[in-house]
Amino acid sequence: MSEQPTRRDVLGYAVRGTGVVALGGAAAFLATRAAAEGAWTIDPTKCINIRLGLTGVDACALCASECVVPLSAIRAVNDYAKCGRCCICPAYYDVTSEVGSDGLPMRKLCPRDAIERTAIGEVDPDDPLNNFYEYIIDEDKCNGCGDCVMACKEPAGLGSIKLEVRNDLCLDCNRCAIAQACPDDAILREVKETT
Amino acid sequence: MEYARIRVIGGGGPDKPLFDAALRDIVARPTGGLIVVGDSVIKLVDDAGRVERQWSTEHPGYCAAVDAKGTIWVGEPGQIETFNPKGERQATWRDPDRFGLVTAIGFAGEFVLIADAQDRCIRRFDASHKWLNDIGNDNNTKGFAIPNGYLDFNVDDKGIIHAISSGKHRIERYSLEGKMVGRFGHFGQRKPADFPGCCNPTNMTLSREGLTIVTEKAGPRMKVFDKSDKLLGFVGSDAFDENCKNMPVAVDARGQIYVGDTVKRVIVVFAPQPSESGKTTETKPTTTQGAGTP
Ligand code: SF4
Ligand code: SF4
Ligand code: SF4
Repeated sequence: MSEQPTRRDVLGYAVRGTGVVALGGAAAFLATRAAAEGAWTIDPTKCINIRLGLTGVDACALCASECVVPLSAIRAVNDYAKCGRCCICPAYYDVTSEVGSDGLPMRKLCPRDAIERTAIGEVDPDDPLNNFYEYIIDEDKCNGCGDCVMACKEPAGLGSIKLEVRNDLCLDCNRCAIAQACPDDAILREVKETT
Repeated sequence: MEYARIRVIGGGGPDKPLFDAALRDIVARPTGGLIVVGDSVIKLVDDAGRVERQWSTEHPGYCAAVDAKGTIWVGEPGQIETFNPKGERQATWRDPDRFGLVTAIGFAGEFVLIADAQDRCIRRFDASHKWLNDIGNDNNTKGFAIPNGYLDFNVDDKGIIHAISSGKHRIERYSLEGKMVGRFGHFGQRKPADFPGCCNPTNMTLSREGLTIVTEKAGPRMKVFDKSDKLLGFVGSDAFDENCKNMPVAVDARGQIYVGDTVKRVIVVFAPQPSESGKTTETKPTTTQGAGTP
């Protein structure tokens, strides 16, 4: 775990930066001022649940358990451009559960039943596997536990589900509680440049 | 039947990859040795595992096939290139509308069959390259269900097409006219013959004796089914890198099976092990490692 810059630190950099550019005149100041705006974000190359190459381990649930917001400010998000609309989505089904007479696993994976599965077009009554399905994550139920993200990761799935910090829910804590707990330093402060 | 790993073919040693970025297809040549497709290069590998010749393709190669005259066909995005065995280009057949991504090529008499993974169907052409019909897209999914992005098939000596529909966890069989004439396989995680995960199996080949040999991902495996679609043999995940997917597979006249480890970019060679009585033994997984392994 590394020490994250606090909001005060970021403000300090911005103030010092402002002092320097002020010497260059008002026009330069307006053009280049770095604002103190920023956001906590998840680095997909570090997060255990998202990063490629790490398989066969349990999902990390710290995003769900450590956030100061009761339901967490982290959500799973399905990138529809990447999703394969798999009939048997391992992020939706617990693929290790018993298979029913319809050929589908009998248990769902999400502990909060936050993923909805909808057939695209008519279901073939003689062959229920002969279809594509849409997977929609209910943001009111999801707490970012990461189970579905780990299950959809390549090579088991297509890696279309990722975890994201929802900036409309995040309280923008000076020291993000998840960042403090994250074993892989995957929660970063992204400072946005504005002009 | 049990299969033993007998060697690994790499690029100048079993630990060195055959290609810099990607190993995508393996073909057992009727005359012996292998054709291996990866990056934008074709490599001819002899029976001892040495690269005896190699040449470049115009675009990255995804598959290869050898026709009755010994011409080597290479499937690429948007086109097919043909080469003589010396690696000299004979022709380039471009059809961007029908060759989105060519991931398998087969021959049935005078017909040429091309798998287009982008449109998720198999296209049949006559000898003059005139399009005749598409196969596998007259269904609810408007094509093969292949979330893994790779469409593989083989043609048997009766002209029946055996194609992978990984998202439906089965192998489907079609006539040349596109009628489904059979299928086998189903989803499951508990029995060795089941196909687990979101989309398995991913790749296949047929042996001269009519065995169906498939590979799977997550965790990577190779399975052999007999003519009646009963599981004969099984090689488990510890033979391959656990992150392998879309592992190409080929079988030669001796029954040796060649599986591409797509992460290490080497070829793992397996040989059937006859039991002492000369009969086949019970199916025996060699490992039980990996997600989804029964
Ligand atoms: S496994 Fe991933 S890619 Fe496949 S349907 Fe589920 S969410 Fe989509
Ligand atoms: S992150 Fe957890 S709670 Fe949210 S949809 Fe996925 S499995 Fe359900
Ligand atoms: S900054 Fe605070 S509210 Fe936002 S994700 Fe971290 S702990 Fe939750």
